[in-house]
Amino acid sequence: MSEENQVEEQPKPLILQKLEANHADALLAHDETRGTVVVVVRKEQAYAVLEYLKTDPELAYTFLVDVTAVDNSQMESELMQFDYARFMVVYQLYSYQGQCRARVKVPVHESDLNIPSVTSLWQGANWLERETYDMFGINFEGHPDLRRILMPDDFEGHPLRKDYPLRGRGERERFNFDKQNV
Amino acid sequence: MGLDFVGQGAGETDGNIITTTIDKVVNWGRKNSLWPMPFGTACCAIEMMATLASKFDLSRFGSEAIRFSPRQSDLLIVSGRISIKMMPVLKRIYDQMPDPKWVISMGACASCGGVFDTYTLIQGVDQFIPVDVYIPGCPPRPEDLIDGVLQVQQKIASGASPKGVEAVYE
Amino acid sequence: MQGGLERATGEKMVLNFGPQHPATHGTLRIVLELDGESVLKATPHAGYLHTGFEKLGEHLDYNQYIVVTDRMNYLSPLSNNFGYVLAVEQLLGIEVTKRCQYIRILMAELSRLADHLLWLGTAALDLGAFSVFLYSFREREKLYSIFEKTTGARLTTSYTRVGGVFRDLYDGCEEDVRQFVTNFPKALKETHTLLTKNRIWMDRTKGVGAISADDAISYGLTGPCLRATGVAHDIRKAEPYSSYDEVTFDVPVGTNGDAYDRYLVRMEEMIQSCGIVTQVLDNMPDGSVNLEDNKITMPDKSDAYGHIEGLIHHFKIVMDGHGVQPPIGEHYCATESPNGELGFYIVSDGSGTAYRIRIRPPSFLHFQALPHMLEGGMVSDTVAVLGSLNVIAGELDR
Repeated sequence: MSEENQVEEQPKPLILQKLEANHADALLAHDETRGTVVVVVRKEQAYAVLEYLKTDPELAYTFLVDVTAVDNSQMESELMQFDYARFMVVYQLYSYQGQCRARVKVPVHESDLNIPSVTSLWQGANWLERETYDMFGINFEGHPDLRRILMPDDFEGHPLRKDYPLRGRGERERFNFDKQNV
Repeated sequence: MGLDFVGQGAGETDGNIITTTIDKVVNWGRKNSLWPMPFGTACCAIEMMATLASKFDLSRFGSEAIRFSPRQSDLLIVSGRISIKMMPVLKRIYDQMPDPKWVISMGACASCGGVFDTYTLIQGVDQFIPVDVYIPGCPPRPEDLIDGVLQVQQKIASGASPKGVEAVYE
Repeated sequence: MQGGLERATGEKMVLNFGPQHPATHGTLRIVLELDGESVLKATPHAGYLHTGFEKLGEHLDYNQYIVVTDRMNYLSPLSNNFGYVLAVEQLLGIEVTKRCQYIRILMAELSRLADHLLWLGTAALDLGAFSVFLYSFREREKLYSIFEKTTGARLTTSYTRVGGVFRDLYDGCEEDVRQFVTNFPKALKETHTLLTKNRIWMDRTKGVGAISADDAISYGLTGPCLRATGVAHDIRKAEPYSSYDEVTFDVPVGTNGDAYDRYLVRMEEMIQSCGIVTQVLDNMPDGSVNLEDNKITMPDKSDAYGHIEGLIHHFKIVMDGHGVQPPIGEHYCATESPNGELGFYIVSDGSGTAYRIRIRPPSFLHFQALPHMLEGGMVSDTVAVLGSLNVIAGELDR
């Protein structure tokens, strides 16, 4: 799967050199777009790679900018990659030391929506993962408090999945005040 | 106001007695001392703040006594978009207000959902609580909000019941 | 140690702060677990203003979505417009004209002033300083009139377009803005005399809601809240976008990371913004504000009405599936909004509508860090800390 035929004229970014030296088996693909290094990582090793990126003194991606996901079910070209993984969990990282960004993507299959939580690495990951759970239904294993965050607790479905309609399934009209716990 | 001066003859009461109905006096008082409860959620709340602040100064119209407690207010200004998670809160706040109470739906989102025709947004709060005055705009200018308050005042002066009362007796 | 009755019996009280509370300026909710007056546990709840912005982005085309970004951080809509179109332009691989870049900086800095002014007014109002609210709104109204003359609206500006801006600055804009930035520091001094050495203000904000630099980074704080902890990070400096490398300004930092430092950092940022605005006006280049690319920007109105080519270009831009179409790919673009790092992550499938738009809101992460700042403090500090963070519900919940 990895794109080995990439010819590098300019020196490889440090992050790629180090990842290839230390976590070569975790890398599924890598790319560099618009100044940002993008790496696609196997789910099993995702935690280890993120921990490495954070703690390595030369890389020091200490700032977890964002955690989100993309539902590729309507994007043929993306879905075909990585064994029809429907979801792609996306971590945006930033290094204050190197003043550079990196993006770590982890394919997640619909049959197994579990992925290790990174709340033990970054406290800020807590709500970001909760939101991803709420919107996509991805289950972050080891998360201390995985509840819905934006939608009401009794809401059914995951709104940002592609099969969920924009106008909802009638939640905004069918409204029962007695049921709601205010 | 329908006031009549009586006592045209000589004496102490000359020109000092007015007759009117209790209703009219009460309405006159109500009209000029509306206590708004600002239920501000989004962009409209910022324009509502601007209305209350130095330049537009809503207190010129007798509505400066902003109360954040619904139990002390008689005018609910719903300004901003209301999500399905927020609607029960709004309903509860409306229920807590003492009668008679009036409701202004400020801006497009509160009135009809505005540009946000999405799964989570109530498409008009009037589906769940009675609304007396709708103010169009996204967001309405402060002048529009002042006009809305004046419309409520006119409604009170005319003796019309609030929408909430009508709904009960219908 | 003070020993109240509740403390002696160990009885806890749960206080629901919000969702409708004057100090939440919107729809925030915090469940406080109290022992007497001290906060044992604070649990913030979000989602009361969830609007579905990200879902809506998958259904509107790239220019239509600008309207939605206005309503996200409604304190500074121009910064959101700016951040969003920058992301789309970088995805397209285009760079707008120099004049357009300068106009965008000008508007972004003015909206930073407007944002900080409203924050200042409401944060002070929550702690009982009503005059500051009136003073800051007096200044904000002047900005409103500049925005209105430039964009046509006071608050929901929708000013930028992919490849340019809606229209050039109006005649006399430079004089209006210059007059504003000349008088503004004097007006801000009034607030300084009211608050900065005010005993009550200092007592209520100094040492309140403090967070260390390491914790701030771990929680993902950005913007003034991060700089108040002593980390001199500003995206305008670290990754200069849109000609920010051509203006000089200082990045103010605090030391303690408490509410008072956040106040001082924001106050100094306003002065720095005035400096940027003056430099931008001094060096404002001439020329067109829109890219001369008929596949991206609208033609001139006279062209659309007067020439058949212009009409066709106009028609194609607004038609579904013919307008702005970035190549297949993805891009994350961060800008320094008044509140911190505002990022747009756009995934394009090559069509005229984004496949996925993710907004990285600064307020979301700031609100998350609230328990860290509150626990162990007093219940009255809640208002001070919440005010100092400037959590905007529209941006928090999207």
